[in-house]
Amino acid sequence: MALLEVTNLKTHFTTRDGVVRAVDGVSFSVEEGHTLAIVGESGSGKSVTALSLMRLIPDPPGKIIEGSIILRGDDVRKMDDSTVRAMRGDRIAMIFQDPMTSLNPVFRVGFQIGEALRIHKGMTRKEAAARAVEMLELVGIPNPADRARDYPHQFSGGMRQRAMIAMALACDPDILIADEPTTALDVTIQAQILELMIELQQRKGTAIIMITHDLGVVADMADDVMVMYAGKQVEYGSAHDVFYQPRHPYTWGLLDSLPRHDIDEKGTLLPIEGQPPSLIDVPSGCAFHPRCPYAQDRCVKESPELRDITSGHMAACHFAGEDGFVRGEAVPVTGGVE
Amino acid sequence: MSARNRKAGAPFTPAGEPVDAGGHLLKDDRPGAVSIPGAGDIPPGRKTRTLWGDAWTRLRKNKLAIAGLVWVILIITVTLSADLWVPQTFGDPTSTEFDGLLSPSATHPFGTDRIGRDVFARVIYGARVSLAVGVLAVGISVILGLTLGALSGYYGGVLDSLVMRTADIFFAFPYMLFAIALLAILGPGYQNVFIAIGILGWPSIARVFRSSILSVKETEYVDAARAMGASDLRIMLRHVLPNAIAPLIVYSTMSIGGAIITEAALSYLGMGVQAPTPSWGGMLSEAKALMGVAPWLTIWPGFAILTTVLSFVLMGDGMRDALDVKMKD
Repeated sequence: MALLEVTNLKTHFTTRDGVVRAVDGVSFSVEEGHTLAIVGESGSGKSVTALSLMRLIPDPPGKIIEGSIILRGDDVRKMDDSTVRAMRGDRIAMIFQDPMTSLNPVFRVGFQIGEALRIHKGMTRKEAAARAVEMLELVGIPNPADRARDYPHQFSGGMRQRAMIAMALACDPDILIADEPTTALDVTIQAQILELMIELQQRKGTAIIMITHDLGVVADMADDVMVMYAGKQVEYGSAHDVFYQPRHPYTWGLLDSLPRHDIDEKGTLLPIEGQPPSLIDVPSGCAFHPRCPYAQDRCVKESPELRDITSGHMAACHFAGEDGFVRGEAVPVTGGVE
Repeated sequence: MSARNRKAGAPFTPAGEPVDAGGHLLKDDRPGAVSIPGAGDIPPGRKTRTLWGDAWTRLRKNKLAIAGLVWVILIITVTLSADLWVPQTFGDPTSTEFDGLLSPSATHPFGTDRIGRDVFARVIYGARVSLAVGVLAVGISVILGLTLGALSGYYGGVLDSLVMRTADIFFAFPYMLFAIALLAILGPGYQNVFIAIGILGWPSIARVFRSSILSVKETEYVDAARAMGASDLRIMLRHVLPNAIAPLIVYSTMSIGGAIITEAALSYLGMGVQAPTPSWGGMLSEAKALMGVAPWLTIWPGFAILTTVLSFVLMGDGMRDALDVKMKD
């Protein structure tokens, strides 16, 4: 059995304008020590999915209305508040997008790293402080004993994200959720942080759920990839399948919009036309049809089911798997549908 | 370093030393330097400053705030040590042993009042009442305002509406009138004055603290603490409170000045500290009929009120700048 099994997860927000279906029936699993990447544009429901796993959805307005989240046999949805708190930081830990703001400015870095250990492992201040220094060393901070006594403003962005990783891994969690961990960092630091995560994963066997809008970030480290659009999965499979045989036009769009330095430096990027839909008023049929160059009448009327295209590689498109409906060969429908 | 004299593909530090892709110095001959690529180097054994140390460094540069601080400390020292030297040198503040309405002189630097009490002694002893009322009243306001503001800001919802509407009701009445009405119920006297001012002060403190909590509550480090499994109480005390406290410190300091003014006003109206205990407001009240004959009776307590209140306001103002992390230099 997988480490984490999520089935038909639905998280909705009730707002004055209507119900926002932020996550609308998502199923996936994460194996021990594996990495799942959740990819999609802003507002596709990636972060809400992650927050749902930790039961961190602010209620009201949000609520997990359906589905199950099974972590090593325990149903996260059925846990009482104190059990959930005991799980957070200990079994599932999370690092956030902006390392500049996710450390508390009034506490020394070492103290903050030790906080989870004091909460979950019942360590004394002294024990936690010693362990915090070890963690800082593990994530490659020089002079860890000195640096543990620094305040966050004395750390650079990359060092802060390292400290966040140290903090998240302090209790040896089963799963580390990383919500766009490199978005706020510059490119060289991004690579270092990703390398660090891969290295620590190999050393500690932590499973990682990586949330990103950047497929390039995912390529090196993901075992599985789940592409989300408008709160639903549009494609889900092994990283190899999704990268080399993408089946959904949205995934093609994401791949085409990546800058590639190896082919043609002067080529223009191909953006996906239009905007992600409002999650209150999702388009009929396939939510992607207004932006899809291959959309036909059927796409407006019928919502495509997520189905196996090849074994273990799923896509939610009526035409996925048809002969000739592959990236680079499919012919756009002229005029499209309105 | 300008972009022009930088060779493509060879990154340099500002000092011009070659570095690798991670900004790590390739040549590092400083003793004890640890080399871990990409993590940046720091000289070992460097001192780290605390946040409060930082704030103090900034406060020290503000001359007006320091002047205020020095003045307040001076008044506190003088008034606390008064028993040791004031009655012996200038006379007891309540005894009528001298001639009335003597002009300021060497023996009576601030003169004497109508019934022959030394004004200098009375101003010094009056400071006790003013400072005690100021500090105790604000203490009560802070305890009430901090608790209610924190609950209100952190939990929101019905509790928030309840607390904030109650605060609105307090704001709806003219402040002075409300204070007089409260004292009419409690009865005059030093203790009731600070209780009344304290009760009237909580709504502003609660508002200041609530809004400060609302902004801190939305920060990512609070989310991170929650994701770490911290309980509500821990998040509140460890993560929200220390980050939201700065505006409260500033506001409270300034409020002490306000409370001193209110106390003086109430004593002036005869609702505050009762004769013969000296208080600055009470002294002004007694002096008002004699302003033309013996101006020193008005000037000195007035001067004391002005400078003390001003000192607290300047201190508060200086703290606002000192505690503002954004102004870090």
